[in-house]
Amino acid sequence: MQRSLTTAILVSFALIGSIFAISRVSLERDNLHQKEGIGLVMPSQVAQIIALEFKGLFADAIFSRAMTYYGGKLIRAEKLSEEEWDWIYRNMDTATDLDNYFLDPYYFGATNLAWGTNKVKEANLLLEKAFKYRDWDWTIPFYLGFNYFYFLQDNENAAFYLMESAKRGASGSLIPILAARLAYQGKRTENAIIFLQEIIRKTDDETLKKAYETRLNALKSILFLERAAAAYQERFKKQPENLDDLTAKNVIREIPKDPYGGKFYIDKDGSIKTTSELR
Amino acid sequence: MDIISFDKITKDYKTGFRKKKTALKDFSLDIVEGEVFGFLGPNGAGKSTAIKILLNLIFPTAGKAEILGKDVGDKGIRKFVGYLPENPYFYDYLNPVELLKFAGKTSGMDSFKIKERTEELLNTVGLWNERKRAIRSYSKGMVQRTGLALALIHDPKVVILDEPMTGLDPIGRRQVIDLILKLKSEGKTVFFSSHILEDIERVCDRIGILVNGVLRRVIDFKNEQLIKSLEDTFIEEVDKAGGLQ
Amino acid sequence: MTAVWSVALITFKEGIKNRVIFGIFIIALLLFAATTVVITLFMRDIVKVAVDLSLSTVSFAGLLTLLFIGVNLFGKDLDKRTIYMVISRPISRSEYLLGKFLGIVLLALTVVVFLGLMSAVPVILSKRFYYYSEARFDWMIYFIAVIYIFIKLAVVSAVITLFASFTSNSFIALVLSLVTYIIGQSTEGVKLLMASKVEKIDVSPALSYMAEIAYYVFPNISAFDLKTQAAHGLSIGPSYIIWTSLYAVFYIVIALSIGVLAFRRREFP
Repeated sequence: MQRSLTTAILVSFALIGSIFAISRVSLERDNLHQKEGIGLVMPSQVAQIIALEFKGLFADAIFSRAMTYYGGKLIRAEKLSEEEWDWIYRNMDTATDLDNYFLDPYYFGATNLAWGTNKVKEANLLLEKAFKYRDWDWTIPFYLGFNYFYFLQDNENAAFYLMESAKRGASGSLIPILAARLAYQGKRTENAIIFLQEIIRKTDDETLKKAYETRLNALKSILFLERAAAAYQERFKKQPENLDDLTAKNVIREIPKDPYGGKFYIDKDGSIKTTSELR
Repeated sequence: MDIISFDKITKDYKTGFRKKKTALKDFSLDIVEGEVFGFLGPNGAGKSTAIKILLNLIFPTAGKAEILGKDVGDKGIRKFVGYLPENPYFYDYLNPVELLKFAGKTSGMDSFKIKERTEELLNTVGLWNERKRAIRSYSKGMVQRTGLALALIHDPKVVILDEPMTGLDPIGRRQVIDLILKLKSEGKTVFFSSHILEDIERVCDRIGILVNGVLRRVIDFKNEQLIKSLEDTFIEEVDKAGGLQ
Repeated sequence: MTAVWSVALITFKEGIKNRVIFGIFIIALLLFAATTVVITLFMRDIVKVAVDLSLSTVSFAGLLTLLFIGVNLFGKDLDKRTIYMVISRPISRSEYLLGKFLGIVLLALTVVVFLGLMSAVPVILSKRFYYYSEARFDWMIYFIAVIYIFIKLAVVSAVITLFASFTSNSFIALVLSLVTYIIGQSTEGVKLLMASKVEKIDVSPALSYMAEIAYYVFPNISAFDLKTQAAHGLSIGPSYIIWTSLYAVFYIVIALSIGVLAFRRREFP
């Protein structure tokens, strides 16, 4: 009788104790993971051999891990360092070496890498791999074309990829028109707006859509200011020195707000820029 | 025709780098039709070795063995041979009915005959009521009895039993004795090894005493009246052979 | 021939009634259920992830079956002497070995058919859940990939049979078979790696020679892995199917022949 009472007390104690302990443990583990940071990237060739016949699965896991890390940072509203971006890029690279046709890392590369950190070169490397393997997919050359146009200001390549996109069956007749427009220099902001509108049309992800729309608004504001500056030039036969000139001379009523929180200004070469650099 | 014949069989085993053990040395023996032959000997004498050579489980280093006039390497001859190994193991997720079906099929029986004989044999060995249970759940005695059924399903002319009494209680042993006697009355030839001297005495026409791989003595009960008891005779032969090795 | 079939049947029965196979099926079904949850973590290529997981589960279950139950079916005979009840029948050693191989292959076939059909469920669900227009998927390619999982398992069965024919205990046979499987999955990749590294690093000729030999001696099991094709609806040409199937058949014949030769003189003291 006494034995079972002692046992009961001991077991209850251990039970309660373990419940407390496990909640502490999960906190401690979280702490540990945050300090760990990003760890190593497995080189592509090694991963391919280790994965044996489960390369596709391995690619899924590597991609997922990188995404989860990125998502965690986003949730905590932390910015990623250069090192962290590099880690993410190399994970995407390894994942697409394991499975050359895996769309998600390419998609992530196209949408986040180029915009987030100016890692356009890397984004394009990824997308060019995708271009080679996913030869039925018209969205890849479309994103490539955009990157060349917007970030690298390389209209020639942009036009080439856009035409590839059309060849692969891009829906929407806007693509060939855009390609044609790009053959001409200039009208950069206008073309970018058309491009973005097309991209927004194809995007289902709400978060992504909002991000694009924010950018679209910023670009529209820039276009508005560009046109205002041109009108000023037309009327007063000289370039405005700064944006206040435009409101002072009643060319425009007010200077639009930069949705990224910066301030629009006129650069030395006369183009409209913003202190936020749209980031 | 001799049913079973061992002709100068020698079997060596390698036990080390240059060492070898001789399990059987120049072993010769003939078993005639319809006789019950008992194989006696201390543990490790080579009884199982001789039996396994008959079943082509191991190959002789020298010499030749035949069953029904054919070399033991001829697989066809095993259609007429029933074998119960010592310490039998069977696929334990299966039940005796499935095992007997396998045994019957491989021995060339048709399904109807298999069913008939299965019922007959399982009843004889007293396993009919447990026939749907897997061997895993069987006691040692039940496993032994399953083995007997497997040895006899195809109504073989020659029945070879290696220590058939192991694991059986006195009732079980009695059943085996009765079975052997029944086989004898059917004209079958039975060749079995055992330690249990009283069973050997009760059932055998002839016995052979094997010590350290050498056949020391063959006793034909028809012709020979033993002066000493079988037990004393046995121990005497072991001593003559120089004790156990 | 009926001797081979009888042994195959009894081997199959013993295998299918093994508790372990029940556990393997449970694991596979749990993995299928997990698939439907895991795919929600991904963005667009949802069907590909579902296919990856489904086919990997079928393959994994098949391998577990062979390595644990298949090897054990030989192990029982060799370690625990159940072979006496089989070899003492009018069966030759070759018939025994071939029958064992066939029984294990039948076991693998059962696993692949059952789990292969079940694996279609998470894939169907993934297609309902999210199907973007640039996804490519073809049921025929998917089921060809499933058939190839079986072909791979048949080759591994032959390897297991070969090792069982001359090893003294089943653990060694298990380890050798596992190592052969791993090497078989890697030889192609290593060969390509050696070729591509020519410009970057000095690969000793001895090493690349060894890799070449390994490629021919060990079964190139990665040739039977069509999961990527199934995941992205990539077509498989008839010449690929013909040559890889022939390769499998020839390799199995060679492995079994060597096994039969080795087994002929095997004793069971």
